[in-house]
Amino acid sequence: QGAPGDGYGQAPVGQQGAQLFTPGLEGDQQLQLQQGQPQYYGQPQPGYADAGKPQHGPVDQLVNQFGQMGMGQQGQKPFQLHTVNLVGMPIDPRELLADPPEMRLPPGACISNNPMANADPSYQRCTLNAIPTTHSLLNKSRLPFAIILTPYRSLKETDDDLAPPVVSDTVIVRCRRCRTYINPYVTFTDGGNRWKCCMCGLANDVPQLFDWDQQRGQPADRWARPELNYSTVEFIAPSEYMVRPPQPPVYIFLIDVSYAAVQSGMVATATRTILESLDRLPNIDDRTKVAVIAYDVALHFFSLPPGSTESNMLVVGDLDDVFLPQPTDILVNLTESRAPLEALLGKLSDMFKDNHAVGSAFGPALQAGYKLASPTGGKIIALSANLPSLGPGALKNREDPKLLGTSQESKLLQPQSSFYKTFAIECSRSQVSVDIFLTGSGYSDVATVSGLPRYTSGQTYFYPSFNASRSEDAMKLAHELSTLLASPIGLEAVIRVRASRGLRMSQFHGNFFVRSTDLLALPAVPWDQSYAIEMQIEETLNQPFVVIQTAVLHTTSFGERRIRVVTQAIPTTQNISEVYASADQIAIATLLANKAVERCLSNKIEDARDAVMNKMSDILGAFKTNMTAAGSGASAQLSICDNLKLLPILLLGLMKHVGLRHSSQIPSDLRSYAHCLLTTLPSQLLIPYIHPCFYSLHNMPPECGTIGENGVIMPPPLPLTSERLERHGLYLIEDGQTMFLWIGRDAVGQLVQDVFDLPAYDQLRGGKATLPILDNPFSQRVNAVINKTREMRRTPYWPHLYVVKEDGEPPLRLWALSGLIMDRADQTPSYVQYLTQLKDRVSQ
Amino acid sequence: MNIEDIEERDGLRLSWNVWPSSRVEATRTVVPIAALYTPLKVREDLPPVLYEPVTCKPPCRAILNPYCQIDVRGKLWICPFCLQRNPFPPHYKDISHTNLPAELLPKYTTIEYTLSRPAQIPPIFVYVVDTCLDADDLKALRDTLIVSLSLLPPHALVGLVTFGTMTQVHEIGYGECPKSYVFRGTKEYAPKQIQDMLGLSQANRSGLRPGQPMQPQNFGAARFLMPVQQCEFQLTNIFETLARDPWTVASDKRPLRCTGVAVSVAVGLLESTFPNTGARIMVFAGGACTEGPGLVVGDELREAIRSHHDIDRDGAKHYKRATKFYEGLAKRASANGHAVDLFAACLDQIGIAEMKSLTNSTNGVIILADSFTTEIFKQSFLRLFDKDTQGHLSMAFNATFDVQTTKELKISGIIGHAISANKKSPCVGETEIGIGQTSAWKICSLTPHSSIGVYFEVVTAAGQPLQPSSRGLIQFVTHFQHSSGQYRLRVTTVARNFAEAGSPQIGQSFDQEASAVLMARIAVFKAEIDDSPDVLRWLDRMLIRLCQKFADYRKEDPTSFRLSDNFSIYPQFMFHLRRSQFLQVFNNSPDETAFYRHVLDEEDVNNSLIMMQPTLMSYTFDQPSQPVLLDSVSIKPDVILLLDTFFHILIFHGSTIAEWRKADYQNQEGYENFKELLEAPQLDAQDLLLDRNPLPRYIVCDQGGSQARFLLSKLNPSTTHMSGGMYGGPGAPGQAIFTDDVSLQVFMEHLKRLAVGASTS
Ligand SMILES: [Zn+2]
Ligand SMILES: [Zn+2]
Repeated sequence: QGAPGDGYGQAPVGQQGAQLFTPGLEGDQQLQLQQGQPQYYGQPQPGYADAGKPQHGPVDQLVNQFGQMGMGQQGQKPFQLHTVNLVGMPIDPRELLADPPEMRLPPGACISNNPMANADPSYQRCTLNAIPTTHSLLNKSRLPFAIILTPYRSLKETDDDLAPPVVSDTVIVRCRRCRTYINPYVTFTDGGNRWKCCMCGLANDVPQLFDWDQQRGQPADRWARPELNYSTVEFIAPSEYMVRPPQPPVYIFLIDVSYAAVQSGMVATATRTILESLDRLPNIDDRTKVAVIAYDVALHFFSLPPGSTESNMLVVGDLDDVFLPQPTDILVNLTESRAPLEALLGKLSDMFKDNHAVGSAFGPALQAGYKLASPTGGKIIALSANLPSLGPGALKNREDPKLLGTSQESKLLQPQSSFYKTFAIECSRSQVSVDIFLTGSGYSDVATVSGLPRYTSGQTYFYPSFNASRSEDAMKLAHELSTLLASPIGLEAVIRVRASRGLRMSQFHGNFFVRSTDLLALPAVPWDQSYAIEMQIEETLNQPFVVIQTAVLHTTSFGERRIRVVTQAIPTTQNISEVYASADQIAIATLLANKAVERCLSNKIEDARDAVMNKMSDILGAFKTNMTAAGSGASAQLSICDNLKLLPILLLGLMKHVGLRHSSQIPSDLRSYAHCLLTTLPSQLLIPYIHPCFYSLHNMPPECGTIGENGVIMPPPLPLTSERLERHGLYLIEDGQTMFLWIGRDAVGQLVQDVFDLPAYDQLRGGKATLPILDNPFSQRVNAVINKTREMRRTPYWPHLYVVKEDGEPPLRLWALSGLIMDRADQTPSYVQYLTQLKDRVSQ
Repeated sequence: MNIEDIEERDGLRLSWNVWPSSRVEATRTVVPIAALYTPLKVREDLPPVLYEPVTCKPPCRAILNPYCQIDVRGKLWICPFCLQRNPFPPHYKDISHTNLPAELLPKYTTIEYTLSRPAQIPPIFVYVVDTCLDADDLKALRDTLIVSLSLLPPHALVGLVTFGTMTQVHEIGYGECPKSYVFRGTKEYAPKQIQDMLGLSQANRSGLRPGQPMQPQNFGAARFLMPVQQCEFQLTNIFETLARDPWTVASDKRPLRCTGVAVSVAVGLLESTFPNTGARIMVFAGGACTEGPGLVVGDELREAIRSHHDIDRDGAKHYKRATKFYEGLAKRASANGHAVDLFAACLDQIGIAEMKSLTNSTNGVIILADSFTTEIFKQSFLRLFDKDTQGHLSMAFNATFDVQTTKELKISGIIGHAISANKKSPCVGETEIGIGQTSAWKICSLTPHSSIGVYFEVVTAAGQPLQPSSRGLIQFVTHFQHSSGQYRLRVTTVARNFAEAGSPQIGQSFDQEASAVLMARIAVFKAEIDDSPDVLRWLDRMLIRLCQKFADYRKEDPTSFRLSDNFSIYPQFMFHLRRSQFLQVFNNSPDETAFYRHVLDEEDVNNSLIMMQPTLMSYTFDQPSQPVLLDSVSIKPDVILLLDTFFHILIFHGSTIAEWRKADYQNQEGYENFKELLEAPQLDAQDLLLDRNPLPRYIVCDQGGSQARFLLSKLNPSTTHMSGGMYGGPGAPGQAIFTDDVSLQVFMEHLKRLAVGASTS
C-alpha cells in the first residue's frame, strides 16, 4: 500500500509511461509543460490584470501586434487587448472562475471611493465592462449587451458573505424625475445641498434628514451613509411604498397523495421534510401562515384550528368548480396551530397509505391553493407525482418518441395547455408564487407545468422516477425542499432597472411576469435566481460612464417593506478594442443560454443551436475584421481576445447541453427541465451546468481533499475530454446537478477497497450511490471533494452521485461522457471540429 | 262484530259495510266504498306464521285466506278473486276441516307471515343536520341526536350529513381524524357526480395487485354508513364537536343554508349504495333553505318568506322552482324505498310547503317545533324509535301495498303517503281518486299508526241479478322490511255483502266516522290541487246529496228533516271540517297547512276525527268531568275546559277559576278541592300526551288571556258578536266569539233547507 500522497497515479505494470495525448489538443500538453506539476488549487489565481506577464508563448506575438494600435491613450494605463488564437489553444477550466474583466471608471466617478461601491458580479454583471458610446459601435463588435442580475442572492458563510448594509432611517433619497435612488455615482453640488442625478442629470435637493442621525438626534456624517458607499444596499421603506400592510409569509403545500405518490414514498419524504422544516420557516414574528392540501382525484383540505391537537379532513370532489370548504382554519398561523399541523404532517402519509386513487387533480388543487393565498399573497409549494389528469389543467400524455430529434420536437417543449400560463399570471397579480416538485415516474409534461413557476417567480424541481426507498432520492428531495423552506423570501416584489440616459431595457429573461414595459412582477423573490435583461443604446452616450441600477421592492419575511438597490457604474468607450477587452464571457454565455432556450420554444431546437453557432461565428468574424490584420478572408488562425477565449467552449457546451443537443434520445421532460435551469441559474451555477467540472481523483495531489486556507482543497479541473480518462483511474464529472464518479475498468483493487469498501472492481455496481466514508485517508479525501462540490456554490440543489463503471451500462456511461464536451459524441462535433467549423465560417 | 272490533282485528274501517250492488246505485250513495286501513295495526294476538304464504297462480297471486273455497279431499282451493283452482302444496296434505292452517281460520282475516328471505341490509338512518343554528339550539339538537343513537337497533346503519353554507358528508368509518366530503351549497349535483365525489364509483382507482387483500371498508358505502354499534363512539364525538356553520352572516342576512343540496346528497348517497332498501333520511332544519337548489327564501332578511297569499297570487318567486326540485328528490327517494323525515325547529317557516313531497311520497314524518330545545321536537323525534314488545323498532321500511278485489269492485286509488308502483292489474278502475291507475303502491316507511285511505268503485252494471248473500272481497297485502331484518307480509282479507238497490241495509251499514275521515282525505287531496272555495262547494254538494238520499223528510219541509243515528253527526263533522285548518288556510302559514294535511293523511279514524272536530272536556266542582259541546256556550267562569285538537292540548280556566288560581288558593289549606279541580285536567292531558306523535303543543291559559284564542277558534260560534246584543249581551250564555263564521245551527238550517229542496232564504 502506498503512503499517503502517493496516490494511485502509478498505473499497473505494463501501462507504465503510457501518457496518452491527442495530437489535436497539443496545446494541452503545452499547458502541462509550462505549468509543471498541477498543485495549484488554493493558490492565488493568475490575474488578468497581470497583463504584462505572458502566459502563453504563442499569444505574445499577437499581443504585440495590438500593442501598436494605439489603444488606451487616455490618462489611465491603456487597456491591453490580448488576442489569442483559439486553434491549438489549451483550455484551462480554472479561468472560468476568474473575475470579469477589469472595469476602469474615470477617477472620481465614485464619490465615496469605497471599494464596495461598484456591483459585485454575483449581484449584477454586465456582458460589457466598457459600454460603446453608440449603437453602431456596439453593433460593429457583434457583442451582446445585457446585464445578468441575481439581486436576491444567498449569503454563504464559507464565502464570508456579508448581508448588504441596511438604510434603516427611512430617508430614501431619489431623483425627482427618474426616481433613481441616490448612490455612490451621483455628484453633490451647491455646497452639498443638492445632488445631481447620475442617470438624468437633474439637480435634486438633499433632504435635511439625510445628514441627521435620527436615533441619536445629532448631525450625522453623510459620507458614512451606506447608499453612498455600497453598490448593494437595502432601504427600509416607509408606508408610501406599501399598497397594504406587509403580508405575512404564507406557505401552501399541495401534496399529491395518489397511489403513485404514496407508493413512491414522496408523501412520506415530503411530509417528514416539511415537519422537520417548520422551525426553519421564516417566522420571526409569529405571523407565518401555513396550509396543507392533499390531492388525488379529489382535494383534501385540513382544518387545523388553533388549540386543537387534531386536524379535520374536508374532501372536495367538485373539481370543475373548486371552492374552499370552510372560511377559516385551513390557512392557519404556524405558531398557533403548530400542534394540529405537526400531528397532521406526522401521519399524513399513513392516512393515505392504502389510497388506491389514480389520477391527479393538480389544476383544481392549484386553484384551491390560489383561493387560500390570493387574499394575502404567498407561496404555493406543489408536489406532484402524476401528470395532471382531472379538472382544469388536465393534460394529455403527448410524449412521442418518434418526434424526438425531429423538427417537430419543439412542439413537445411548448405548453400543451394555456391553463398554466393563464393561471400563473392570475397568481402573479395576487402575489402568489408557485414552486413545483415533480416526482412522477412517467411523463410529467414539465414543458407545460413549468409555466407556473416561470411567470410567478418560482422554481421547478424535477425528480424523474423518484423512489424514496433509494435513500439518495429521499435525501435529494428532502434537502432541496428543506433548503427552499428555510430560505428567506422577499414577498410581493417588483424589480425595476433604471439606467443612464441613452440606455433602454429591451428584453427580459427569467422567471417573472413583465407587468408594464419595464416593471417585473415577482410574487416571491427566491434566493439565487438569475434574470437577464438585454439593453439597447438609443442615443449616443456622452458621459464617461453609465449607471445601471436595479431596485427590488419587496416585503421581507419579517414584515418589513424593503428596497434592495444594486447600483453598477460602467465606463463608456468609443474604442472597439476596449469593448472587446472588457467583454465578460461568463455573462455573455449566461445571456445566450437564456436566449437559446427561448429560441427552442419559439422556433426549433435546431434554430436555437444555429443561433448560438451564428452568434459565435459573428463575434469571431467581427473580431477578425475589426481587430486583426488579416481582416476578412481566409486565415490559419481563429483569433479572439483573451478574455473571450473560453466563450467558444462555453457555447459548445451550451449547444451540447441536454437542453439543446441534437438527439433523438432525450425525453422532452428532461429537456424542459434543463430549460428551466438554463433560464434561472445564476452564472455561478450555469457555467458548470454547461461546462462541467472534471477532476481526476486517483492521482490528485496529496493536499487535495484536505482542508486548506479556503476550505477543502479541490483537485485541478481538467479539460473536458475523455482522453484524460485512464483505465485505472477514478474521476469526478459534475455539473452542479449531477455527479458522476467514473471508475476505469483496470482500477486496482486497493482503490476499489478504499473508496467503495468492496474487494474488486467486479463487485462494484454502477448507478445512484452514496459513497461510504471509510477509515482511510483516500476515502475521506474523495468524500471531502464530493461534499465540497455539493456546497461550494450558492444553490439549493443536491446533486445525485452516480457511480459509473467504464464497462457498465451504456446509457449511464454515455450520460456521464456527455459532460466531456470536447469529445465528439453522437452527432455533435468535438471541440476541434467545432473550431474548424467556426474558422471556416469566419473565413468565408 | 261491531265496527270497533273489526277495526281492532283488521285495522280497517269501511265507509259502507254493506255494498250497493251496481254502479248506478253506488253513485247514488254519494260516499264511495272506501277503507281506512292501518296495515301495521298492532296485533299482539297474531300467531307467528313462519312459513311462506300459499298464493294463487300468476298473474293473480292472491293469498290463501279464510274466504277461499277449500276442497279438503282434492287438496285444492279456489281463489275467490280469479276463481282459479289451486292445488295445496304437498305439506298441506293433512288439511281437514278441523285441521286448518292459521290463514284459513275465520279469526285470521288478518295474518302476518314472516318470510324466510332474510333482509340483507339492516335499516339505515341518515341524519341530515343543519348547523346554521344558535348555540342553544345546536346543543339541544346534538344532545338529542346522541340520545337517539342509543335507541337505534345496534345493527342499524347510520350516516351523517351536515349542512350550512355547504353540505358535508361525514366519513364516520375513518379512524385517523374527522373526515367529511364537502359539496358546494349553490350547485345542483347529478347523482353520478355525487357518487364520483364521494369516491363511490370504481373509476380512478388503481388495480389491486393479485394477492393483495382488498379492504372493503375503504371503498363504497361502508365508509359513510356504519352499524351504530361500531360507530357510536365516533359519531358521538362528531356530534359533540359539531360546530356552528363557520361562514359569517351579515346582520341583514339570513345564514346561507343549503338544505336542498344536503337532501339531494343524502338521497344520492343512498340511491347509489342501497337502492330498494329500507332507509330514513332525517332532515333537521332550523330555518329555510336560502342557498342553491331548493331555495325557499333569499338570504336578505328584508325578503319575507312567502305566505298563502303570495302563493295564491303567484307572488312567491321561489315557490314553484323549489317545489319542483324537492318533487324530483322525492321521486328518487321514494323509488328506492327511502323515507325522508322533516324536523323543523324555527319560529318562522322553513319551507315545509315546498318540501312536503319528500315526506308525502315516502310517508316520512313532519315535526314542526319552535326550537330544537322544545319537548315537542325532542319527544316527537325520540318517540319515532319506540319499540314493540319484542324490542324491535315499531317502524317498518320499504313496503309495497297491494290491493286485490273481486270482479264487482275496482280500485279507484289511495290517499296516503305513498307512490304508485304502477301495477296495472284487472282490479284497477277507471275512476281515479287520489293515487290511482294502479293496484299496488310503494310506502317507504310505516308505523303502527299509518293509515291508508283506499277508494273503490262498483262496476257491476245495474239490473244484473244478485246472487243470494253475494259478497265482494278485498285483499290488502303489505310486504315490508321489519326492523328486525326480516321481510314480512301482512294480509288482510275483507268480505262484505252486496245489497239490492234500495235495501235499507246499505244505509244502516254507514260508518259516519270513517266516511267523514275518508271524505276529508278526498277534500284535502282536492284542496292541494284546486282552489279551496271549489272544494268547500264540493263538500257541501256531497253532504246535501247524502242527506237527500238517506235522511227522512218531506219534500220542501225543512222541519221534517231527520237523520238516523248512524248519519246524525256526519253533518257536524263536515261543518267542522269546513272550518278546520285543513281547508281554511289563511290563518296558517303554508308550512303549517302542509304539516296539518300531512298528519291528517297519516292517522286512523279516531285521531283524524279529533283533528277535524276537537274534543272538549269540562271540569267543575262536585261533578265528574264530562265532554261538552265544542261550542262557545261551554265557556263558563267556573269551569276548566280541556281541549284536544290533536295538535294542541289546551287547558282553559274560566275567569273565576283563573282569578282563584292567581290568588294561589290551590296552595292554601281548606282549598284542597280546588287544587284537585286544577289538577284533574292536567292529569287527563298527560294521558292524552302519552302516546301521541307528534307531541301536541301544550297550552295552559285563562279566559281573556291571549293564548285563549286557540280555544276560541275551534269553538262553534253559537254566540258571536253578531248574535244577541251589539257586542254579545251579558245575558247570553257562554262567551261571544269575534267571528263572521256561521254557527253550526245556521249551517244545519241551510243544510236542511237544501236537502229537502226548500228554497233558501
Ligand atoms: Zn434622475
Ligand atoms: Zn286468483
